[in-house]
Amino acid sequence: MQSLNEQLTGITESFAFVIPELVLTAGLIVVLVAGLFNNNKNKLFNAIAFLTAAGSFILLVAGGLQTNIMLFNGVLQRDGFGEFLMLLVDLSVGLTCLMSIRNPEGRHLSEYYVLILSVALGCHLLLMSTNFIIAFLSLELISISSYVLAGYSFNKSGSEGSLKYFLFGSTASAIMLYGFTILYGLTGTIDFTSSLFFDRLIDDPSPLLLIGGLMGLAGFLFKMGAAPMHPWAPDVYEAAPVPVIAFLSVAPKLAAIGVLTKLLLALHLFGQGEYDWQMIIAAVAILTITIGNFSALWQKNPKRMMAYSSIAQSGFLLVGVAAFLPQGIHFMLFYAAIYLLMNFAVFVYLSYFEMHGVYSMPSFAGRGKRFIWASVGLTVGLVALTGLPPTSGFTAKLFIFSSLWESYQETHKSLLLWLLIFGLLNTVVSLFYYLRIPYFAFIKAGESPEVEKKGGFENFLGLILVVLIVVIFFIPGLLMSLINRINFVL
Amino acid sequence: MQQYLLSLLIFTPLIAALIALFIPSSFEKFFRMIALVCSLVQILVLVRLLISYEPSLSLQFVEQKPWISLDLGSWGILKAQYFVAIDGLNIIFVCLAVFIMFIAGISSWIINKNVKGYFVLLLILNAAIVGTFTALDFLLFYLFFEFMLLPMFFLIGMWGGPRSEYASIKFFLYTLLGSILILIVLIGLYLSVQDPDQSARVVHTFNLLQMTAPENFIRDSIFDPANPWMIGSLNAREWGFLLLFFGFAIKLPMVPLHTWLPDAHVEAPTPVSVVLAALLLKIGGYGLMRIAFPVFPEAALGFSWLIGLLGVISILYGALNAMASKDLKRLIAYSSVSHMGFVLLGLASMTTEGVTGSIYQMFSHGIISALLFLIAGVLSDRTHDRTIDHYSGLATKMPAYFSIVLIGFFASMGLPGFSGFIAEIMVFLGAFKSNSVNGLIHESLAVISTLGLILGAGYYLWTIQRMFFGKFHVKGEDKMELLTPLSAREYMVMVPLCVAAFLFGIFPQLILDWINPYTEHFVNTILDTGKRLTLNL
Repeated sequence: MQSLNEQLTGITESFAFVIPELVLTAGLIVVLVAGLFNNNKNKLFNAIAFLTAAGSFILLVAGGLQTNIMLFNGVLQRDGFGEFLMLLVDLSVGLTCLMSIRNPEGRHLSEYYVLILSVALGCHLLLMSTNFIIAFLSLELISISSYVLAGYSFNKSGSEGSLKYFLFGSTASAIMLYGFTILYGLTGTIDFTSSLFFDRLIDDPSPLLLIGGLMGLAGFLFKMGAAPMHPWAPDVYEAAPVPVIAFLSVAPKLAAIGVLTKLLLALHLFGQGEYDWQMIIAAVAILTITIGNFSALWQKNPKRMMAYSSIAQSGFLLVGVAAFLPQGIHFMLFYAAIYLLMNFAVFVYLSYFEMHGVYSMPSFAGRGKRFIWASVGLTVGLVALTGLPPTSGFTAKLFIFSSLWESYQETHKSLLLWLLIFGLLNTVVSLFYYLRIPYFAFIKAGESPEVEKKGGFENFLGLILVVLIVVIFFIPGLLMSLINRINFVL
Repeated sequence: MQQYLLSLLIFTPLIAALIALFIPSSFEKFFRMIALVCSLVQILVLVRLLISYEPSLSLQFVEQKPWISLDLGSWGILKAQYFVAIDGLNIIFVCLAVFIMFIAGISSWIINKNVKGYFVLLLILNAAIVGTFTALDFLLFYLFFEFMLLPMFFLIGMWGGPRSEYASIKFFLYTLLGSILILIVLIGLYLSVQDPDQSARVVHTFNLLQMTAPENFIRDSIFDPANPWMIGSLNAREWGFLLLFFGFAIKLPMVPLHTWLPDAHVEAPTPVSVVLAALLLKIGGYGLMRIAFPVFPEAALGFSWLIGLLGVISILYGALNAMASKDLKRLIAYSSVSHMGFVLLGLASMTTEGVTGSIYQMFSHGIISALLFLIAGVLSDRTHDRTIDHYSGLATKMPAYFSIVLIGFFASMGLPGFSGFIAEIMVFLGAFKSNSVNGLIHESLAVISTLGLILGAGYYLWTIQRMFFGKFHVKGEDKMELLTPLSAREYMVMVPLCVAAFLFGIFPQLILDWINPYTEHFVNTILDTGKRLTLNL
């Protein structure tokens, strides 16, 4: 046991390593206070939030993703794996701010940005947690903020979505907490990366490990929108404003998969445990991909479709984890980065079309000719989500399925082969709904009403994302070289 | 200059498409011109290429540039190259592609709706097709292969007939399913194969030529020939072959995976049908010869009975369906299914004659089916009605058209003097010989498949009798006057095809000289490697 003095020094020294989080907190407070004086300055709040995220992003990049250090006496752990996902979270905050410059609602503006920043802060903390309590607290920070964000359209369906999200979410949190208590009871430690945790579970196998582990994972699966914890997604996505959905479909999901990976590897006990967690996560991935894709087939509303699409995409992210190889984790990070680009590209264009009064799929009819660039950009985004060349969506799928092949080659577990086949065949299914918007826009005849064209900024933002998606296909080294520097350790 | 000829061939259409994108859509003539100019440039490049082409085994006009080289840590390095070259197999497909795209470009002048979008997509399709035929890196091949889907989807969907939406989606889903099957093998293969030239670290390569050498497989990797790994009752390499085979067979198309083809053909506008039948179907056969057979030779030999059987079923089933078709385009589409069956039969025999026949059949069908779809287009452009029973006595009203129809139909029937005859006779020879030379398929398959010729003669002659003989009549009052004589543009696209069908029927040596060294080598390698691998297991 360290002396009090040592502990205090440890704490003060740790502050030097959480500067990005301190920046986020400071930005959050500034927006909150500024809102007390005048709550109508959308541009100002937006700029502050954007700069805060940019600051945190730059600090992380400057750190070079090389740190690997325990902070605050072992409560938090900062590593390259988490930092890369934090980068993506900050990037999604920045993009959300850019999408929110034209905020149509104009109510509770400062709170809007405060909530976004607090979700980001929660994600940062979640990605640093090695400890059940911190994991739970940061997950709740994300959850509570996102329940409110989900209702930000201030109408009936918005409140309904938000309330559903809240009810499902609190149940999931409760289940997760119960799982944590079981794990704590089994091991006597709340630190799931400590050797005590492993030793106890290896020496003393108990069937409760399966139950506790599954319940503990459930909370993270909920945040990811993975089956069987996914039913909240469509209602929330349908009701919330587009920038909010874009944000919620990326940031919490990536944070959750980050900590889920760590917890899963801890539960796996270096393969010495009784339960095969690789099989469990492979089964979850199969279920998630299949449910997401097949439910998306019947959707008429683009936002609902994207909800199911993001469920399916969670499944693909899990494929990288299910390989249980260091390379698989790297590829999962690659997929996560591409997922961010693809999802934001699609949502930017969806908000562009909403500006011009296009809300449902059939109303895209005939729009292809009138909004040619936006339609082409949206098509590229959707094609990337399907995973076809020449988009980096293909590269990402190629990579994660490579790691799965490799894993199958090493372990000969037939479920992995099924995951490979199911995952790839699902691509064909997904094409059916991803192509529906381009199909309506270009092929279905329809008259586009004469509306004033606006939203040049959204169009431009989407174009940048789409160009990135294509460029990374041709030069994947741009992104992969960054990811290769990360040394994944539990 | 010479080392960039192939890139010039691939990228000219892309550059043309890019230029077209920035021209306002009101300049309709300009888009037609740019497609024409692009095709002319391609023809010039091709002529230059053919002058220095030498029929031999070696790769020519090789361009090999690093494209993706990714360090994957403990996994080694992933390497994909921009690797294009010409050899005895793809030379004739490249010629066919350039020629057909030229014809399709001119016949696309009838398109008058959204001309800009149409030509941009057609040019992209052009680049993708030439790229697919020349790529020798699996990832590059796959890129071009997938790149064909979206343009084709929109070309059928946006400019097609009344049910084009259904047809285009069906086309896309079927083909994508095929390419996913190929993708599974692609991933497995690059994980299993390493570049022999670099020994310091494991370099996972997509190089198709290196994939064909059994010694390049990493020990105990999934597709390693020495790896006795069973999945179900087949080993991994057999699965790999079957996935590739069915993936490409959807494209070919082979019965029972052919149902997308009649729909796509019936709904597509004439020039798109031409490209679809003449080029896209060939990619299926080309993929089998380029990838499936050389990479998994022992599995290919093991399954030759299945390939031969499915080939014969395609021949007969396609022909019977053609006979029952009421729509002229549907009839031609099913005749394509029937003719593509010969490609499978020839490949299954794995004799020099059979394989030469297969390649020849693809080339000849490329020419003849293009001609047939243009013939159908003549009628549907005038009356928008392709129902066979709605016409009679056309011979008296349109004699010039009738003579072109006769050439097209007779060529497709496989009458001596036309290119189809040479191809089919060689396939029969190969299929007959196979049992006595290598024992792969039984003679009875060859015997049964000759029925396809009889059925072919049946449906073509019957169609001629119904549509062209008798008293001139067209169903629909005002449609009689619509049947004007052929226009200069229609002559311009159909006459070269008629000449080609004759030329390669009378002087087959023109092509045989080019491909013979390759096919002999191909057959011997497959048989040798296949036997060696089978015995080792």
